[in-house]
Amino acid sequence: MTTTTQAAQTTQVYQVFIKASPEAIWEAITTPEFTRRYFYEARIEATPERYRSVGPDGSDWGDDPTFEYDPPRRLVHGWRSLYDPELADEAMSRVTWEIEPQEGGYCLLTVTHDQLEGAPKTAESVSGRGWMMVLSGLKTLLETGEPLAG
Amino acid sequence: MTIWSHIVPRVDDDDRVFKALADPTRRHLLDRLFRRDGRTLTDLESELDMTRFGVMKHLRVLEEAGLVVTRRSGREKLHFLNPVPIRLIHDRWIDKYTERRASALADLKTTLEEESS
Repeated sequence: MTTTTQAAQTTQVYQVFIKASPEAIWEAITTPEFTRRYFYEARIEATPERYRSVGPDGSDWGDDPTFEYDPPRRLVHGWRSLYDPELADEAMSRVTWEIEPQEGGYCLLTVTHDQLEGAPKTAESVSGRGWMMVLSGLKTLLETGEPLAG
Repeated sequence: MTIWSHIVPRVDDDDRVFKALADPTRRHLLDRLFRRDGRTLTDLESELDMTRFGVMKHLRVLEEAGLVVTRRSGREKLHFLNPVPIRLIHDRWIDKYTERRASALADLKTTLEEESS
């Protein structure tokens, strides 16, 4: 009972429909040319080994292991919030991207950020606007080719 | 391995989101998930003066609108708030109108400042 409650409170789930192919979505979440246009300007590169994020000023925003790399369906990687000194020392959490094709040329993208037990400040920071802005920006970029203003 | 709910919301259905939000019980359920995410049905029905079946019906409407995502954890089904559809409605319906007002004010300021210089 306790473990379930803990898991629940240290898990965040986000879903969005995107009118794009699984391959296009995969490319947009794994290549720096795309991520800088919707992911707080971070240049992110995901390989079968590492998930690396570089901020717009060239500083290290994240460098964590890739746990699963199954293009264009599933990406699982570690997450540390190196972009904020207050969060940088927290324990590593985990992010899972799942891309499921739907009817009409759409995909359902599910992002699960879990194992946040040792990272309460990160959990607070990425909830609400954090992931929401990334996902709405990703959808806008893929569907219109324009990054979200502001 | 995650087992996601079999309920898949229909693609980009703003009507369903607006309809789901147009009910005080459903907004109350979203507010409770906002305060603490990943709750069971038993937990969610505890503060409501409503039958279990009634709460299930409201949760189903929220799931079909994509505002609630469920997943199984052991024997329990946990409900998670998905705020993304609300963000998209905000982008589509609220930004559009507030931006025009803001830019009208910016234009007015520019015009007035040009006149006075």
